Amino acid sequence: MYKFKRIYLPEFIEYLQKTYFVFAPVKSGTETEFKQITSFTEIDQSRLNTTISPKEIFFPRSEVLFTYDEDGIKTPPKREKPAALWGMRACDTRSMRILNDVFANAHQMPEKDMFKDPYWIDKYKDCLLITEACLNPLSTCFCNWFSSGPFDETGSDIFVVKGEVDYYLKGITPKGKEVLAGFEKTEKTIAKDEEELKVLQSIADSYMNPPTDLGDLKDKLGKIWDDPLWDEIGAKCINCGACAYVCPTCHCFDVSDEGKGNKGKRVRLWDACMFQLFTKEASGHNPRSNSIHRVRQRIMHKYNYFVDNYQKFLCTGCGRCVTVCPVNMDIREIIKQILDHKIEKKDK
Amino acid sequence: MTELQNKIKELISNKTLDLVIGWGNGSMPLVSTPMFIKSEADAEKVIFDPTCRNNLATYLTKDKRRLGKDYEKIGIVVKGCDARSVVLYVTENQVRRDQVFLIGVPCHGVIEKKKIFDLTEGREVLEKKIIGEKITLKGREFEITVPLHDVLSDSCLGCRYPDAREFDLFIGEPRDEVEVKGEFKVVDDFEAKSSEERWDYIKDEYSRCIRCYACRNVCPSCYCNECFVDQNDPQWIGKTPEVTDNIIFHLIRNLHLAGRCVDCGACVSACPVNLNLRIMNKKVEKEMKERFDYTAGLDINEKPAMATYCENEKQDFIMG
Repeated sequence: MYKFKRIYLPEFIEYLQKTYFVFAPVKSGTETEFKQITSFTEIDQSRLNTTISPKEIFFPRSEVLFTYDEDGIKTPPKREKPAALWGMRACDTRSMRILNDVFANAHQMPEKDMFKDPYWIDKYKDCLLITEACLNPLSTCFCNWFSSGPFDETGSDIFVVKGEVDYYLKGITPKGKEVLAGFEKTEKTIAKDEEELKVLQSIADSYMNPPTDLGDLKDKLGKIWDDPLWDEIGAKCINCGACAYVCPTCHCFDVSDEGKGNKGKRVRLWDACMFQLFTKEASGHNPRSNSIHRVRQRIMHKYNYFVDNYQKFLCTGCGRCVTVCPVNMDIREIIKQILDHKIEKKDK
Repeated sequence: MTELQNKIKELISNKTLDLVIGWGNGSMPLVSTPMFIKSEADAEKVIFDPTCRNNLATYLTKDKRRLGKDYEKIGIVVKGCDARSVVLYVTENQVRRDQVFLIGVPCHGVIEKKKIFDLTEGREVLEKKIIGEKITLKGREFEITVPLHDVLSDSCLGCRYPDAREFDLFIGEPRDEVEVKGEFKVVDDFEAKSSEERWDYIKDEYSRCIRCYACRNVCPSCYCNECFVDQNDPQWIGKTPEVTDNIIFHLIRNLHLAGRCVDCGACVSACPVNLNLRIMNKKVEKEMKERFDYTAGLDINEKPAMATYCENEKQDFIMG
């Protein structure tokens, strides 16, 4: 484990900028979002979680796939340097690894090479994920439901803890270790530092609400697809896309052609299973015609279908959807409701 | 148990109503949640306090199966603005007055999350207490007590009809029109700016829109089966969340709400990125007031402003 004085953060950012485009939480209006920074002064450290997750660095809200005109088709220029993300949280780091499974590593599919998304891979492949420990988790955080926690290093290249005077840094992957080794201002930590880290971690852990055991969740969901419980759960959903758009793991997209005359572009945009239009067919038929069907889809995808395909949940407990939902559909309560639900035996 | 809970319990147990839409405690201190009450036990969980910011009327039109098919008659707990939305539905032939049972509650305004955020500088509120006219917010390292007035939504501060004028039952004594100062101050201030300043503000604000459509979906007045932004043949608007298309979405929504917005503030509180959505809606409301002396949702027998014509209307926008 290494450390450097907090005053050296600007230098560390500059050091990263030699190899990377550095992205970090930046204030945008009243909100905080991951944006590319030119100087460390732009970093907003006041919030625990950014409003919109960092997924948009690799999977932008709208992304031009190609443009066309009379001369032919052009693909947009690639990012010149890979991205380094400063100020990630453990939940977001794990989310990016999950999304990478979807876009670049669909190992469960028999035709696995067919499902490699070049747009994601280009932006993601050499990225550096620097996770910062959460010293002050929110009441909406529930990463501990997924065997994670405020100090979880999983998936990080470098793990950082902000101490009283120092940043403590740990290289996790070979890439992360190499980056740390190249920065001159680092020193080795001493026993006193380890003490501080332990205290910080125990304080952070004490802020977390007790976790819910999700051991039975996947199987339970498999049995209640047509249960009236969904009417109860889905009734108040108003079918906006706020939850999906702030979610670090939701990754559904739409493709839209925007052109005029001989010129135009094909764009990939975020989409959400909460929208009525998402499943509407050309005939006019909509297999998920109401909010109840759509809410069920969102829950089933995250905690059942995805587990079938990837052996993990499509959720890391960041709590953003809990905070933004206009009608307080709290996914934690929905999960508890499902786990507590007694399945009535059907007469056949 | 409160009087509201008792009344709902009574209405459910004597089968006057088989569904009442109300508010219950949310999962966070400053948030309530819409509740669909079908049993006496549910009725005991109903609350009404300054966290009840959702406009519940929206549920009458959001899911068309609900009214008439699933339930004969639905009860709704209404603030002044919710009741105005129901009146609007009746005037627009979306709901028959006899299909809904309105339970009025005395409203003294609801809390706006952005004001709380500004007050606590973004720190999380873990506990709130409202005593009289004061609210106390507690977090891990702070405790702040301010007049409740300071954190109420701008819509509430400029609201002339806090209590339902149309109701079947009222808990307490309904107030009629109350006096407010500077109802359109936000518009007047904005109009006083130069056109460049106004355009810059609108551009900056709407460039942050992520097009999640939370504003549209919570809005009681937005009930089209298919919104123009969702139509793709023809496609009226680019789906990309870029500033030009964002502005088109919001401005068209503003115009579609002419004479229909009740200024309930639901869009403002729903926005996950805290856009100032009120200013343009209020501008349109002001125009309707000045040109047609029309305020949405006040008179159940009145025709909707955009569905009627009077010879003495100001027509200077056509005649120059």
